[in-house]
Amino acid sequence: MNIYLRELKANGKSLFIWCIIMIAFVAASMGKYAASSYISGQSLNDIISKMPDAVKSMFGAGTFDLSKAIGFYGAMFIYIVLMAAIHASMIGANIISKEEDDKTAEFLMSKPVSRINVITSKLLASFTNIAIFNIVTLLSSLFLVNYYSKGENVTDDILKLVIGMFILQMIFMSIGIGLSALFKNSKLASPVTVGVMLVTYVLSLAIDIDSNLSGLKYLTPFKYFDAKNLMNGKGFEIIYIVISALIVILCIGGTFVFYQKRDLKI
Amino acid sequence: MKIIEVNNLTKYYGKSRGIIDVSFDVEEGEVFGFIGPNGAGKSTTIRILLSLIYPTSGSAKIFGKDCIKYGPDIKKDIGYLPSEVFYYDNMKVIDLLKYSASFYKKDCSKRIKELSELMDLDLNKKIDDLSYGNRKKVGIVQGLLHEPKLLILDEPTSGLDPLMQQRFFNLLKEENKKGVTILFSSHILSEVQKLCDRVAIIKEGKIVSLEKISTLRENSYKKVYVEANAPLKSEYFNMDGVSDLQVKDRTVSFLFKGDINNITKKIAEISITDVTIEEPSLEEIFMHYYMRG
Amino acid sequence: MNVFLHELKSYRKSTIIWSISMAALIIFFLSMYPSFSSSVSLVKKILEGYPEPIRKAFGISIDDITKFLGFYSYVFSFVVLGGAIQSMNYGISTISKEIKLKTADFLMTKPISRNEILTSKLLASLTSIVITDIIYLVTAYITAESVTKELFNIKLFFMVSVTLFFVEVIFMSIGVLISAVVGKIKSMISLSLGVVFTFYIIGMFQATLNDKAMKYITPFKYFDTEYIIKNSSYDITFVIISILIVLISIFLSYVFFLKRDIHVV
Repeated sequence: MNIYLRELKANGKSLFIWCIIMIAFVAASMGKYAASSYISGQSLNDIISKMPDAVKSMFGAGTFDLSKAIGFYGAMFIYIVLMAAIHASMIGANIISKEEDDKTAEFLMSKPVSRINVITSKLLASFTNIAIFNIVTLLSSLFLVNYYSKGENVTDDILKLVIGMFILQMIFMSIGIGLSALFKNSKLASPVTVGVMLVTYVLSLAIDIDSNLSGLKYLTPFKYFDAKNLMNGKGFEIIYIVISALIVILCIGGTFVFYQKRDLKI
Repeated sequence: MKIIEVNNLTKYYGKSRGIIDVSFDVEEGEVFGFIGPNGAGKSTTIRILLSLIYPTSGSAKIFGKDCIKYGPDIKKDIGYLPSEVFYYDNMKVIDLLKYSASFYKKDCSKRIKELSELMDLDLNKKIDDLSYGNRKKVGIVQGLLHEPKLLILDEPTSGLDPLMQQRFFNLLKEENKKGVTILFSSHILSEVQKLCDRVAIIKEGKIVSLEKISTLRENSYKKVYVEANAPLKSEYFNMDGVSDLQVKDRTVSFLFKGDINNITKKIAEISITDVTIEEPSLEEIFMHYYMRG
Repeated sequence: MNVFLHELKSYRKSTIIWSISMAALIIFFLSMYPSFSSSVSLVKKILEGYPEPIRKAFGISIDDITKFLGFYSYVFSFVVLGGAIQSMNYGISTISKEIKLKTADFLMTKPISRNEILTSKLLASLTSIVITDIIYLVTAYITAESVTKELFNIKLFFMVSVTLFFVEVIFMSIGVLISAVVGKIKSMISLSLGVVFTFYIIGMFQATLNDKAMKYITPFKYFDTEYIIKNSSYDITFVIISILIVLISIFLSYVFFLKRDIHVV
């Protein structure tokens, strides 16, 4: 419990900044929506919808109906997801490895706590951070999108998007934590996790450009909960949920196994 | 010639105190001790001398040159050993020493060899894999390899085993014989006692005493211990020159400074069973400076 | 010179990894060009059926994106993102690395001025970046030549590609300034990613919304590839802004670093 609280406190400031950024971002996008000329953009949407995926993705907006508040929000959601992925990767990669990095591992591990206990507390703390991050994003999105929408029901779509984002964060957090338990050199955890995140992000963009690559979509979590699919009726696909669960379970299980056996570098 | 001149140096970290109005000089060829408890301001002073931090007011000169203005210049002849040594982890010992040597425009390879043999240091290990004590040895070799004229040592012995400490002290004595001036900061008095000619005692950011080691010990204080026949009033020995007075039933102990006759007369007036008057150890003098207001 | 060489050596691994990743990235993306260009002729036909104002509303003329250089500049934006992260890392680590690894004491008690230290370190970072860029440029050019059947303007190709270096220098100098001001940074990579992605997302946001004012905020938009392709030159306003940012950041970094107290760890 004390480790859990200590971790929450240690991450408090950074979580606070992240939450502010998320609220500001949602507010800025929706404010932009109100001021933009997309409200009369129906004809553009017609054209876009006829285009091949490759070209659509280059326009960024894709298949969203930008004249509606929720459509606009959906188009902006990829940025929110990208920020969420960075947040989760950093938390996951840092939460264990920082003890060795800051040379506090000696202090912590000489206390009467088992490593399992340490990891469990740290996992819970990361989870709490992510949960708060999501709740803040969800509430600010619900409030702001509702404010600008003209009476349509936006709650369902936003809920779907944020749940997708939450699972994505869980994936990157567990990859980060798993890698930091696996690597002997604690300094490698952050750069490699970020590398994984960037590679999968770029891959998701590449899949948009070249439809021949669509078979690779299982390799990038950014494709698991695509805002377009979630909003345009497809909803959650069971296969992606299964893959996500597998990744999270494998990584976290691996964390316990590797970290138990590892020599701490002091 | 004065090697170090420190004039009214003051350093505040924001509002909290670093050091206040510190002044002292170190003569050429001297081993100058700088003692005080943790947080007294020893490292702050040393870091200003090395222009790692800048003073709030006051100035310091090394080799007659202002140490902020001519920092790089005077550092050619300074060797520094910090209390905790941290080096680039992914380097081998020899690489680090060579890198260190590359800053001085002379060939240090022979000296590196001599010093590391003396300190029993394996040159081909990675710094990462070294123990604390062995890292310290790297620090020692690194600080001495360019034959500096001034050595600044900030609590240098922590982590060294007694044998290595002895070798290190011998090394310092030899360097000193060659004319090297040494500023030795420590909180361990016995170390200072072994090496130093003069000491400055620093407490809560201020220099409280600056004396020769010999003066400090010889004619400053006597430690008096009296055991009386009957219980004593605590005020009885409360007189000029008495400090650190402790009365416990029939026994009294205190430090005395001044005319020794005054105290012997005072003792003669009461009936006693035992009396000792002795030279205090440095530790006790040291404690005395700390405890006093 | 010794500090420069030492720094360069410490960046060696990272320079190799970045060079390989960026080269791989461009090979990967450019190799998709043939399939992209075939699907794109279809778009052209659709668009031709619409009046000019609607086409303009896209912000990019359709001719531009369907040609190789249009495609290249789209892909190039990811390369720039990578380059920005690399140079931001170098920038931030310039001073903060010494403080975090607690080696500042070692370096700064040597007979070398802080000016020299900072200059050597900046030159080392710059050299690493230049090496990465050259490797990228050569790879990109060879790949471009082999995937395109049509002719493309080589001068424009290089004009676009060199902006990678410009953006990197901007990010590096911002990074140095951050590290000179902040000093000890707990997690350098988090900070560096945070800063780069903030600018990147502002850039994406700007592209989606086509907001003119936002262009000034993010260095990712200072060298607009569309503008370069259209005018065969750089937008002089942004060139001036870039130079100012770099000069001011570097100048302030020296000022802050010279005055900074290096504290006991």
